[in-house]
Parts: sequence; structure tokens; C-alpha cells
Amino acid sequence: MTNLVKAELQKLFTTRLWWILLIVLLLLTGVFLAFFIGFAGVENNGAAGIPATDDPKWAQLAWTTGAQMSWIMVMILGVIMMTSEFRYQTITGTFLTTPRRSQVIVAKLVSGLVVGALYALAVLVFQALVVIPTVLISGGELSLAESRIPQISLGILVSTALYAVFGIGLGALVRNQIAGIVGAIVWTYIIESIFTAIPALQGVGKWLPGGASNALMSIDIDTGLGVPHWLPAWGGALVLVGYGLLFAAVASATTVRRDIT
Amino acid sequence: MTAIEIKNLVKSFGAVKAVDDVSFSVEAGSVTGFLGPNGAGKTTTLRSLLGLVTPDSGEALVNGRPYTSLAAPLTEVGAVLEATSFHPGRTARNHLRIMCTAAGLPAKRADEALDQVGLADAANKRVLGFSLGMRQRLALASALLGSPKVYILDEPANGLDPAGIEWLRGFLRHLAHDDGAAVLVSSHVLSEVEQTVDNVVIIAKGRLVRQGSLAELTTNGGEVIRVRTVKAAELAPALEAAGAQVESVDDGVLRVRGLDTEAIGQVALDQRIVLTEVAQERSDLQKVFLELTEGR
Repeated sequence: MTNLVKAELQKLFTTRLWWILLIVLLLLTGVFLAFFIGFAGVENNGAAGIPATDDPKWAQLAWTTGAQMSWIMVMILGVIMMTSEFRYQTITGTFLTTPRRSQVIVAKLVSGLVVGALYALAVLVFQALVVIPTVLISGGELSLAESRIPQISLGILVSTALYAVFGIGLGALVRNQIAGIVGAIVWTYIIESIFTAIPALQGVGKWLPGGASNALMSIDIDTGLGVPHWLPAWGGALVLVGYGLLFAAVASATTVRRDIT
Repeated sequence: MTAIEIKNLVKSFGAVKAVDDVSFSVEAGSVTGFLGPNGAGKTTTLRSLLGLVTPDSGEALVNGRPYTSLAAPLTEVGAVLEATSFHPGRTARNHLRIMCTAAGLPAKRADEALDQVGLADAANKRVLGFSLGMRQRLALASALLGSPKVYILDEPANGLDPAGIEWLRGFLRHLAHDDGAAVLVSSHVLSEVEQTVDNVVIIAKGRLVRQGSLAELTTNGGEVIRVRTVKAAELAPALEAAGAQVESVDDGVLRVRGLDTEAIGQVALDQRIVLTEVAQERSDLQKVFLELTEGR
């Protein structure tokens, strides 16, 4: 099994996709961080907007910047990990080498978790390099506990790793690369955003992977739409793991028996 | 042990019966040509053999076991299915190395296999720029990684230039006759494999049409002697009396089975009939192939 995971990682790192997606992810995170810095402390029609940079709440908010972008990029990565095997018919060689297909699926899921976690780490390091100097320059004090940085970091790490599993499951289900990528973007960027941002819909949204990930990071900052109500962190973790198992089961069920023609 | 054994294989895709009760086997040390027109069911048979397609009924065994139960398949079976199944952005060497990693083979096997198929110079080039012939060679290299003793090759000559086909022929003969491997090679173009194969399995419309050695197939039904004479109507009964089967083709031409040229000459002399032509009819394999696969 170790060999199979290594082979899956080799597949990913011998094409250009991984670093293109990573650069896009870091660029987008940079753009959003710039936005948070630019609009820090600006009131939104008299209501609370983004906190000032010396407020511990700002560091908390800024530390979550890359979360959603990480989910999107890693889910796309997962979709491509699976669908490119069908697009280029490399699945034939993969199954000739490892005819026990469930082992291939497990190896893909494990390597997806590994790569997702690596992307999350890259984003977290990048955020630290921007947020810490910003807070210190503005005269604030960086309090890890008050800004909940360890918990948010762990939340990003775990949730991002799991989004790779979601992507692999989606890719196995649809098989078509374009459909899978569009599906991943629409889901993470539009559907989940709507259900987690609009308070009236959060009753549903908190049960979605995005809402559960927010619960894991326990974000409770009011950026103008009211304080969100997520599941408790452990509940978010359970929901996320549940989705992970669901998508893993989908990937397995759609791949193990099907004829490869 | 029989290297490849297919027993009563049946596979349908929806209403189409792709393979219908096909049985044959391939022994070590021989090259078997698996022939049939496009859509005859060759690829489905080979994919069933390799565990990629699940048959409806029947068995497809390699070294006595289903492919999916082989512990280290690459070391037992080398397969070439499609020349197109590579990621265009990956280099040839990396493609093979990934297979080595997954199969637990040493990474150096990748370079050795590339060397064997004459692709060493292109090892670090991305497959994107490969010609079809280079892709075929790369596919063959992937089959060689585990130094197996059974080879299953689906249309490996597709896209090769004449020199490449010549090279492939020599290579397959070497694998079978020098290394003692069992080689099953499919083709819809008979001339590609005619000079390479020891045995032939022909299928058409999913059904087995004929199997046997190349020699058996070409002398199908015995030798035919073509005789031309102005007195065909008199010669025919005389030949039949001598034990031959005679077919009258057109005015003055008889196709005779069961007698050789000397015996026919003797009959003609006895009957005082002048022969203007006596020739052994070449049973061209291509003709046999077309006869066998047409109208089924």
C-alpha cells in the first residue's frame, strides 16, 4: 500500500498541475489578504465591518483568508487526480499494475489527504508571513490564543485535506474532467458560500462541508451579516469525516466493478 | 501449464454480444495471432483476460489464474492495450517509473525497458511530442518492466512504420522463441502478423471461426491443383474415378483436390488428353482470412 500511495504522489508531481494550482491558490489568498488589510477598520454603513488590524479579531479573520480558496483548489486537484486517469486512459495501466481496484482508490484517497494537507500548510505559512508583520507594524499584539490561531490552523489543515477526498469522490462519480471541475467550483464557491454566508440559510449550511469546516475553525466574527451559528467544533469534525467517508464510498462504488473499455 | 486459457467466454454490452462462447489457449514458446476484422471482439476478449472487463460467463486465465488474483501481475503478464493511454504532460521515463513504484519494481527497470524498445533518447521527453509509433514502443516498454513470460498485445503494430513493424516482428519472435514466452498478439491486418505467428486464432462477430497452426490454416482442406485443358468435360470424370474431388471453375479450368500434379498428369496421359496448365494453387492466407471472416 505504501508503494501505491508513493505511485499516486509520483503521478501528481510528474505533471505541472500541482504547482500551477498552488501558485493560483497563493495568489488568490494574497489578493484576499490585501483586501482585508485595505478595508481593515472601515465601518460598513455604521455597522461593524472588518476589524482594525491591531484588533485580535482581525488576525483571526485574516488567518481564515485562504480557507475557502484552499478548499476549492484542493477539490479541483482531487477531481483532476481521478478524472485525468479516465481522460488520458491511464486508468488502464493503473489497473493492469494493480488489478485490485479498491487498493488503487484507497491509495488515491490517502495521497489526496497528504497533498491537501501540504497545500494547507503552504497557505498557512504564506498567511503567517503576511499577517504577523501586518499586526506588529500596526502596533497590535499577536495573541495566538485570543485570535484562535492554533484552532483555525488545524481546522484549515483538516478541512482542506478532506476536500481532496471530496474531489476524488466527485471525479470518480462524473469521470468527465470539465464537468467535475465546474461541479467543484459551483459547489464550493457558490452553493456553499450562499448557504454559509446568509444567516437564514445557515440552518442548512452548517451541515454542509463548508459550514462544518467553519465550525472546525470556530469562526464567530460578525462581518455585517450577523454572528453565524455553527455546530460545535467536534460536531463539525464529525460531519466532515462523514462526508469524507461518503465520498470515499462513492469513489470506490463507482470504480471497483465498472468495465474499463 | 497453459499460459493463456480462455474457456467459453461470453460478454455482452447491452444488446450487443461482443464475445460469444470463445475458447482457445496459448502455450509458452509460441506466438499466437489473434485475428479478426474490426469489431470482432478481439479487444473485449483481451480486456477480459486482463481483468479490465468482467465477462458475463466463462473464464479467462493467465498462468491458470484470473488476472485480478495475480499477486505481482507485471512480473507475470506484459500487456499493450492502447498506444494512447499516457498523460501527455508526463515524460516517458516518469510514466514507467510510476508503474515500477506501484509494482514494487526497481526504478532502473524503467531505463532498461526504454533501452530495449529503442526509446532511450526520448526518456526525458514529454509524451505530448511522441509519434504514434513512439507511443507504441513506450506501451511495449511498459509491458517489459516486470520481465514477464506472458505477453498480451492488442494491435501493437498500429502506427508503426514498415521498419517499426519489422522490428516488432523480430522482437516478438525473440520473446517467444528465445525467451520461451507465450505471446498473444491481435491484429485486423493479417499481413502484419503473417510472418511472425506460429498459431492463429480467428474470430468474427464475437465467435471463434478457426484456430490452429499457420500451416494448418493455409492448407485448409488440402492442396488444390489447378488444371487447364480443352477437354475438361472428359478429364473431370477420369480424375474422379482416380479418387480426386473435382470442381469445374470455368471453361476448361478444373480445381482438383486429392491428387498431386504427377498423378493428374498420369490420368491425362492415360486418357490422351492434352493439359495446357497444371499448377499448385497458392492458398493465400489473406484469402483464407477473408473467406473465414466474411458473411458471419
